[in-house]
Amino acid sequence: MPMYERGNVRIHYEEAGSGFPLLVIPGGGLNSTIEGLKTHPFNPLVEFSNEYRVIAADLRNAKGGQSTGPLEADRPWDAFTDDHLGLMDHLGIDKFIVLGFCIGGPFIWNLLKRAGNRVVAAVPVQPSGYRHEMPNLSYTNNMKGWGPELCERRPDIKMAQVDTFLTNMYGGERADFVYTVSRDFVRNCQTPILILPDDVPGHPYVVAMESAYLAPNAQVSLYPWKMNPRQTQIALRHVRGFLSANRPAAAARPLAAAAQ
Amino acid sequence: MPMYERGNVRIHYEEAGSGFPLLVIPGGGLNSTIAGLAASHPFDPMVEFADGYRVIAADLRNASGGQSSGPLEIDRPWDSYTDDHLGLMDHLGIREFMVLGFCIGGPFIWNLLKRAGDRVVAGVLTQPSGYRPTMPDLFYQNNIKGWGPGLCERRPDITMAMVSDFLNNMYTKRADFVFTVTRDFVRQCRTPILVLPDDVAAHPYAVAMETAHLAPNAQVSMYPWKANPEQVSLAVRHIGTFLKANRPASQAQQPVRAAAQ
Repeated sequence: MPMYERGNVRIHYEEAGSGFPLLVIPGGGLNSTIEGLKTHPFNPLVEFSNEYRVIAADLRNAKGGQSTGPLEADRPWDAFTDDHLGLMDHLGIDKFIVLGFCIGGPFIWNLLKRAGNRVVAAVPVQPSGYRHEMPNLSYTNNMKGWGPELCERRPDIKMAQVDTFLTNMYGGERADFVYTVSRDFVRNCQTPILILPDDVPGHPYVVAMESAYLAPNAQVSLYPWKMNPRQTQIALRHVRGFLSANRPAAAARPLAAAAQ
Repeated sequence: MPMYERGNVRIHYEEAGSGFPLLVIPGGGLNSTIAGLAASHPFDPMVEFADGYRVIAADLRNASGGQSSGPLEIDRPWDSYTDDHLGLMDHLGIREFMVLGFCIGGPFIWNLLKRAGDRVVAGVLTQPSGYRPTMPDLFYQNNIKGWGPGLCERRPDITMAMVSDFLNNMYTKRADFVFTVTRDFVRQCRTPILVLPDDVAAHPYAVAMETAHLAPNAQVSMYPWKANPEQVSLAVRHIGTFLKANRPASQAQQPVRAAAQ
């Protein structure tokens, strides 16, 4: 089981395929794990490993995962982004494309803010965002679905710390838009972005579309795109074309040839 | 004014940019003209894609307001236009090309794929026309009113009876799906396709989506994609990515991102 270790952080990751690096961030909120990809609308470790070096990791401290580390209550988003960037460093990868489900959306924006020169292109899939009519949704979901089990596994962590962590992650000034960056940041972000919107409570369509309208080099998939396998296949072809068109020329080969 | 001539057919065309060839078929039914691209279309490919492609558009043979003319080939309406598209590519020394068509360009693209599938590298069907069972004579009526009279006025050799026969062969006797090919053809077509659906009377959403679901290498844009300029920009970026991902490797120049800057 491949592990990346940095101090008291241990991150379990898996790789599939070869080619230009594609970092995959599973969905599932703070319980984002590689295993969870099997329940997603598509599994990038399967779909893209014929052309890319696909890398996915268990999120630090996710239930059911093998990654652990401190609960950095003062910098919740950045702590996870440290792990994503640290894993890329560990693997000797400078530039990469990133595809993230759900919580992967805010993580992608944070990666673009922190290491925009390394992220060549990004695909937020059913991205999470703040929904004004349900202001406590992410806090409440994780207080129930993540915190108790984490405290049980980790005697050094108390629910009061989980509360602070989640409040800093989702509350206050962060309770807006995509949590991790401002609209101004998105407006100035030249990185190519492909968004596959959703519209469940944790994944507001309006926020996905707002980020698409603001980002000057964004595109959007068909919608809905996951009501049946045929829709998903159509969306996947869009993702493949987007990845192919944006990976550096040295890694390129024609899409049609790859498909045959 | 560049002209391609073949016998008694004269086709006015224009070019913009350089790179892998992109044939553009304007919309406007049988009055499809180059001028229409800038005047009435959601975006103008001559402007949008000229920085990376050799974009070529032509006035459709006998379109009102255009400069292309030729016989009315009553027995082979669709194929006579496809002759002009393929003939123009031959005239320009182009073997393989991509094609982007609006409205009537949809059925034309399918006919190009049927007649010269080995030459068409990829196709973009923008607000494609199709048959709507609830309005079975829509295209006949539109053209018998909006195209036939002007044509007969310009061309004394053509009568409204001939126009009627032409339109019946073009639409009435082919009243299904995309007019030019069967569902089986689409099901077997491996060429990469990007469909940008519409849903006005002549551009049925259901047919556009049916082609996308049938064709094994199809993509679909967001929908709606032309309710405002921001949506159109998103859709045009999708087209840009699609074209870049599918043009032959020898034509690849720089990543889309670099080209956009």
